Amino acid sequence: MIATPPPPALLMTPDERRRWYLSLWRYAVPALASMALLVLMLAPLPISLPAMPHLALMGVLVWAMLQPGLMPPWLAFCIGMLADLLFGQPLGVNATLFAVATGVMRMTGRVFGRHGSLFDWLLVTSVLLGFALLTGPLMALAGRPTTTLPLLWQWLTSVAAWPLVVRLCAAIQRKLAASAPHWRHG
Amino acid sequence: MDWTPAPRRPTAIRREQNLALVSAVVSGGVIAAGLILLLVARVNPETASGVRAVATDIVAPLWSVVRAPIDGAGKVAGDFGDYFGAVSRADQLEAELDKANARLRAARNGQRELQQLKRLMAVREPTRTVVATTRIAAATSGSVARTAMLAVGSGDGITRDMPVIGTEGLVGRTLEVGRQSARVLLLTDPLSRVPVIVERTGQAGLAVGRNLPTLLLTDRIGPELALVVGDRIVTSGDGGVYPPGVPVGVVVDPRADGPVIRLATSPLGGGFVTVESGWLPIPDTQPQGPVFDAPVPVEARTRGAPPPRLRTSEPPAN
Repeated sequence: MIATPPPPALLMTPDERRRWYLSLWRYAVPALASMALLVLMLAPLPISLPAMPHLALMGVLVWAMLQPGLMPPWLAFCIGMLADLLFGQPLGVNATLFAVATGVMRMTGRVFGRHGSLFDWLLVTSVLLGFALLTGPLMALAGRPTTTLPLLWQWLTSVAAWPLVVRLCAAIQRKLAASAPHWRHG
Repeated sequence: MDWTPAPRRPTAIRREQNLALVSAVVSGGVIAAGLILLLVARVNPETASGVRAVATDIVAPLWSVVRAPIDGAGKVAGDFGDYFGAVSRADQLEAELDKANARLRAARNGQRELQQLKRLMAVREPTRTVVATTRIAAATSGSVARTAMLAVGSGDGITRDMPVIGTEGLVGRTLEVGRQSARVLLLTDPLSRVPVIVERTGQAGLAVGRNLPTLLLTDRIGPELALVVGDRIVTSGDGGVYPPGVPVGVVVDPRADGPVIRLATSPLGGGFVTVESGWLPIPDTQPQGPVFDAPVPVEARTRGAPPPRLRTSEPPAN
C-alpha cells in the first residue's frame, strides 16, 4: 500500500486533513517513477542499435502488477504520449501500446491471480515481444514504416533487465508503505 | 497485487461490476484515441511538433548537466592513460608527422594549381559556417526512431535542416528545433537519406539508414562500377543540406544489390559535434506573383463574375 485509505472527510481533524493533502503525492509515485525511467532511457550511450531496454514500458508493467489501481490504462496512455514526444516517434505509437500492455496485465492478473516471479517474467517477456512486433505495424499506420527486426535487440535487453526494474519498483513501494500515514479513525 | 478486501454486500458487488465496466469502456476509448492519433500523424506528420520541442527543451538541458561529471571523469581517466603512454605516443606521432609533411609538400603544388584553375574559371564556392559546437545531450537508443538531442536551439541560431558533423564524419541533421534544444536525425534512422558519392569512382547514390549500425548504399546513378571493400563514401553536396566531401563511411560489403557502409563516426560516440549552416541557402518557397483568395473559373469570369480578390498581405501585381 502506497497510502492507507483516509477516514471520511467530515471526521478528519484539521491536522489529519492537512496530513491527507500532503500525502496525496503518493498516488502519483507510480507515474513519476515510470517517467523517471523514461528520462533515464534517453541516456546518450554510444549504442548503434536500438538496444536500450525499454525501461519506461517495464516501469508501467511493474506498476500495473504491483498497484493496478494507480496505473490505469489511461495513465499508461499519457506516459506513452510523453515517450512518443521524447523519442520523436509519431504521436500515438507508444501511447496505444502502453495502454494495451496495461490492459493485458490487468486481464492476466484477474485470470491467474497470485503467482510467482518466474511466471511474471515469462508473462512480461511475451508482452514485451508483442510490443516489439506491434511497433512496426503502428509506425506503418502512422506513415513511417520501419523494420521490426532491430527492435528484437531491445526485447532481449529488456527481458534481461526486468528483474532489476522489478527490484527497484518494489523497493520504492516498500519504502512508501513503511512511511504511509496512519489515521486514528475516530 | 491488490489487497482490497472482497466486497460482501450485493450493492457493493454491483458497484464493483459497474466500475469494472466503466474502466473497460475508458480503456477501449483510450486505445481508440491512440489509433486516431496515429491516423492524424499519418495525414499531418507535423502534429504536435510544438509540444515535442517543449518536451525536448526540458530533457536535453537536464541530460547535458547530468553527463558533464561523467565526461569529466572520463577525461581524468584519459589523462592518466596519456601520462603513462606519453613517450611511445610521442615517437609514433613524430613518425606520422614526418610522413604527413612529405605528403603535404607533394600536395602543395597541386593545391596551387587548383587555386589558379579555379580563379581562371571564376568558380564561386559557398563557405561552410559553424553555427554551434556542442556535445550530444541525449539519445533515443531505445526506440525505432534514431534521433539525438543537442542542448542548443533556436536561441543559438539553430534552424531546421542544418548538418551535424562530428570530428570523424557526418552525424546527421537537425530535425526539430526548440528554444534551447534541437533534435538530430541520425544517419542510422530509417528516415535518413544522405546524397553521397563513392570517392574512388565518383558514382553518386544515397546512403540510407535502416536502424542498424551500418547504412545501405542505394539508388546509384551511372554505370554499374563494382565497389571494393574499403571504398570511401563522402557526401556529394546534392540537395544543399550537407556540405560536399564530409566522410560518411567505408564500404564493408560490396554486394551488387545493396552495398553496406560502415559509418565513419559512431553518431553517439561522445565527442564534440559541430552544427553548420546549410551548405546552400534554402530556396524561397513563397509563391511568386499575385495570390488570389480562391480560384475563379474562366467560365464564371466570362459571365461577369467580379474579378478575383488579391490576398491582402501580398502587394498587388502590376
